[in-house]
Amino acid sequence: MTLFTQTLSISLLLIVPMLALAQHDHHETHGSHSALDHPEAHMHHPAQEQPEQTDAEGPAEMTTTAEIEAALADGGKPVVAEVLGVVCDFCATAMNKIFGAREEVAAVYVDLDTKALNLVLRPEYDLDDSTIEMLAVQAGYRIAAIHRNPAIAAR
Amino acid sequence: MKPVLWALLLLAPVTGLARPVSYVGGWTLIEESNRQSTSALVHYTPTPAWSVGLRNEWMRDTDYLLTAIQPTYLLKRWFGRDYQANIYLHGGLGVATATSGNPLGSTAAGFAGVMADWETRRLFAGYNARYLDAGHFGDSAMQVFRFGWAPYEGDTNELHTWLMLEVDQRSGLEDSVSITPLLRFFKGPALLELGFNLTDPSPLINFTFRF
Repeated sequence: MTLFTQTLSISLLLIVPMLALAQHDHHETHGSHSALDHPEAHMHHPAQEQPEQTDAEGPAEMTTTAEIEAALADGGKPVVAEVLGVVCDFCATAMNKIFGAREEVAAVYVDLDTKALNLVLRPEYDLDDSTIEMLAVQAGYRIAAIHRNPAIAAR
Repeated sequence: MKPVLWALLLLAPVTGLARPVSYVGGWTLIEESNRQSTSALVHYTPTPAWSVGLRNEWMRDTDYLLTAIQPTYLLKRWFGRDYQANIYLHGGLGVATATSGNPLGSTAAGFAGVMADWETRRLFAGYNARYLDAGHFGDSAMQVFRFGWAPYEGDTNELHTWLMLEVDQRSGLEDSVSITPLLRFFKGPALLELGFNLTDPSPLINFTFRF
């Protein structure tokens, strides 16, 4: 068997079960997300795509940094979003770049320990849930829940 | 090359174990040097599912330089609170040009591949393969398996350290299968991998930067 044939065989053996699993996941869970799911759809139908979404004064705690504390002191509004798939610094960098570029955002910090995106919105602005979800998709990740009035915890 | 083979190649594997699709609007520089080639890829990510880049790869053993446009497609991403997994397809079309006194001139070249990975903050598994047709320079196939373990969980902007083992299989080399232990260092937008191939003594040096 040539190396090409071996390579192709292993690739197919790897991909076919994963795609089958993905299809299964798509029907039964919300823990997977395909690039084929057309992320832009989140902008238009977030309720259909994000049934796990919550917008409650839940138990989430905001992780603070000097930048976040300063933004809160200026009257900023804290938001904590639980993010799926955040496992490395590239993830944090992506979220920081995408959210940090928004004029609504005064401070942003991704905490890998809590898997949370910590945002402080400028007092005169707001970001609705669907926009936060859409921005997370642009960063390559997915929001599991959004908490608008999180507890403030020292880092 | 037969059309059927090209069609099959669309399902076949690639190169590069650092994430090949970034955030929307992001640029990424990926340098890789292993026992067979040294390459640089600069890519831009216009959508969450695609990146498009320019690849330059010096095939040191066969003395030619591959220059190609490389699109990469994120076929599937799985999310969990503690893990992420991905399947990417990639390909490229370009020109292979002789180097180091090779008299073969230049010719059209193309490649196709697939990459898959699964990662938590402490464990990593990846598979990567590519088939390359470089015309009269010949064709080649490679596949790489990689496993990694992080001795601690680094937080945001801290230094992340991984111990990894790479097993590769490459056509056209005397030792088709080889083993490379390596260290991965990861901090913010930069990733550096340093290893040494134990089977075919040669260094592995990979670097990725996102900006």
